[in-house]
Amino acid sequence: MRDQIPPFLLHRPSSNSFRLEGRNLRTPFLEKGMDRLAEMIKTAYSQWEYASREGFFQKIDARIKVLFLIFFVVIVSLKKNIGSEGLIGIFVFSLMLISRLNVFHLYKRILLFGLIFGSLVALPSILNLFGEGEVLFTLLRLSTPYEFWIYSIPQEIGITKEGLYGMVMLTLRVINSLSITFLLLYTTPFPEIIKALKVFRVPDTFLIIITLTYKYLFLFAKTVEDMHLAKKSRLLREMRHRETRKWVAGRVAFIFRKTRLRTEEVYKAMLCRGFSDTITIRQTAKLRQCDWVAGISLFLIGCLLLWI
Amino acid sequence: MEKIICLENINYHYHDAISALTDISLEIKRGERFAIIGANGTGKTTLLQIMNGLISPSSGKLFFKGDEVLKQTLKDKGFLRFFRGRVGYVFQDSDVQLFCPTVLDELLYGPLQLEIGETEAMDRAFEMMKMLNIEHLKERPTYMLSGGEKKKVAIGSVLTMNPEVLLLDEPTNGLDSKMQCFLVELMLALNEAGKTLVIATHDLSLVDELQATVGVLSEEHRMEKTGSAIDILKDEELLLRVNLIHEHIHRHRDIAHRHIHSHYLFHRHENS
Repeated sequence: MRDQIPPFLLHRPSSNSFRLEGRNLRTPFLEKGMDRLAEMIKTAYSQWEYASREGFFQKIDARIKVLFLIFFVVIVSLKKNIGSEGLIGIFVFSLMLISRLNVFHLYKRILLFGLIFGSLVALPSILNLFGEGEVLFTLLRLSTPYEFWIYSIPQEIGITKEGLYGMVMLTLRVINSLSITFLLLYTTPFPEIIKALKVFRVPDTFLIIITLTYKYLFLFAKTVEDMHLAKKSRLLREMRHRETRKWVAGRVAFIFRKTRLRTEEVYKAMLCRGFSDTITIRQTAKLRQCDWVAGISLFLIGCLLLWI
Repeated sequence: MEKIICLENINYHYHDAISALTDISLEIKRGERFAIIGANGTGKTTLLQIMNGLISPSSGKLFFKGDEVLKQTLKDKGFLRFFRGRVGYVFQDSDVQLFCPTVLDELLYGPLQLEIGETEAMDRAFEMMKMLNIEHLKERPTYMLSGGEKKKVAIGSVLTMNPEVLLLDEPTNGLDSKMQCFLVELMLALNEAGKTLVIATHDLSLVDELQATVGVLSEEHRMEKTGSAIDILKDEELLLRVNLIHEHIHRHRDIAHRHIHSHYLFHRHENS
C-alpha cells in the first residue's frame, strides 16, 4: 500500500499562511432554506424536553388536554369582546407559568404569528375603504368622494373605531388560539397527542401513519442536515445558483430514493412482526382521579369564561 | 512537533438544552494518529465536526495551525480555501457525502473547487482510483455502489484535495473484514506519507492496530483521559467506566464463564 500512494499526496503545501480576502461567502437561498427547514424540524427536540419536565400541565392525561384545546379554541372564537379575550389570554399564560415553560421563548413565536396572521391580515380592514364606521384618525382627505361600480371611496379616508376593534379582536383570537395550542404541544409528547386522538374515534391505521410520518421526518431532517455539512466540508468557494439548483435537485432525488427504500424496509419489518392488513395499537390506560379533577376544573373555568 | 489542531474548553449544546460536549481541551500534532474513542452518544462525531468547522461550539476555541477558526473567518474566501484545502472530513454515512453524478465527478469535485487545472485534477482522480482499486467504477453512479466501494470513493473524494489532516468518522463501521484491513493499511500508509489522522471510533482493535494517541470521551461528554494506545487499552477500569468494555457470560462446552469483554483485548478468563 505504501508504494501505491500517488506522488501528489506526498506534496505538502508550500505556505502555512493565508491571505484574508475580506469578501464574505454568501450561502445560496435554496441551500440555506433546506438547512433551515431541517433545523426547524429538529427543534421538536426542545418540545420533547419541555414535555418531559415536571409541571402542572405535563401531569395531566393527553386526552384531557386535547379536549381542553378544542373546548377553549371554540370559546376563543365565540367571545366577542376584548376583555374576555384578555382574560383567556391571562389564564393560558398562568397555565404556562405553572407548567414551567419558557414563556419568553414561546411568546416570541406566538406574538410573531399573531401579528402576521392577525394584525397584518386584518390591517386593510381598519380603513373606512372596506367598511363604514366612526373615523378615529384621518389619513387622507380627498377633494370629493368617488363612486364606481360596487366601490365607494369616501372623501375622508381614515382608521375607523370598528375596524380597529375588529383587528384587535382577530389578533387576540389568533394569539389565544396559538397559546393554547403551544401549551398542549409543549407539555405533551407528540406520541401521546396522537394516542389521545383515539378519543375522537380516529382509526388506528390513520394514527400509525401519522406516528410513522413524524418519526421518519426527523430521520430525514438529520440526513438533510448531514448532506449540507458534507457539502460544506468540501466547499471552498461560492456556489453559482445553477450549481446550487443542480445540487438541491440531486439531493431531493436522493431523498426520494432513500424514502422509497426505507418504506419497503419498514413494510417488510412490519410483515415479519405479524402485520396482515389491520393495525391495532395499544389501548390507552384509564383516566386517573387527578385527570378527572383537572378535566372538570378546566371545563368549569371554560364555562365561566364563556358566561362572562 | 508542531501543533496542528488545538481545542480549548469546548462546550456544545444541542438546541441550548442537550449537552453534547463538556469542557473539551486537546492538542493534535502534525503527523500524529489520534483516535477519539467513546461509547455511542458521547459526542465523537460532534467533536470531529467542530474540528472541521462544520458546526460552531457553544463556547470554547478551535485553532488550526495557530489561527483561530471562527464562524466569521470561515466566511472569508481566503481563510476558507486555506482551511478546507488542508482539513478533510470523511463522514460515517458515505451516502450523505457522495453527491455528484458519477464516481469520477465525485473525485474531481474537490480539486476543481481548489481551482487546480483540469488536467492535474484528472491525473489526481485517476491516480486515486488506481490506488483504491476502483478504476472500473469510474462512470458508475454512486448509488449503484456497495458499502465498501462507497467508503473508498468517499475517502478518495477527500484525498484528491490532498489535505494535511484527515478526519475520519467511524471509518470501519459496517464494513467487512477485508475492507477493514484495507482501510487500516491505507490509513497507516497515508500517515507515513505525512498526513495527520484523527479518527472517531468505538472499535478498540482499530485503535490498537493504528497505535494511535487516544482521547477517551465519557458518557458525561467529557474528555476522560488522553494517552498512548497501550496505556489506554491496558486501563480496564477506565474502559469499563466509559462503557467501552463490559462483563458478559459465555460458554466453553458445559462451563459458563463471566468475564470482561470488548470483542477484542480482554477476552480473558480468570482461571486462565
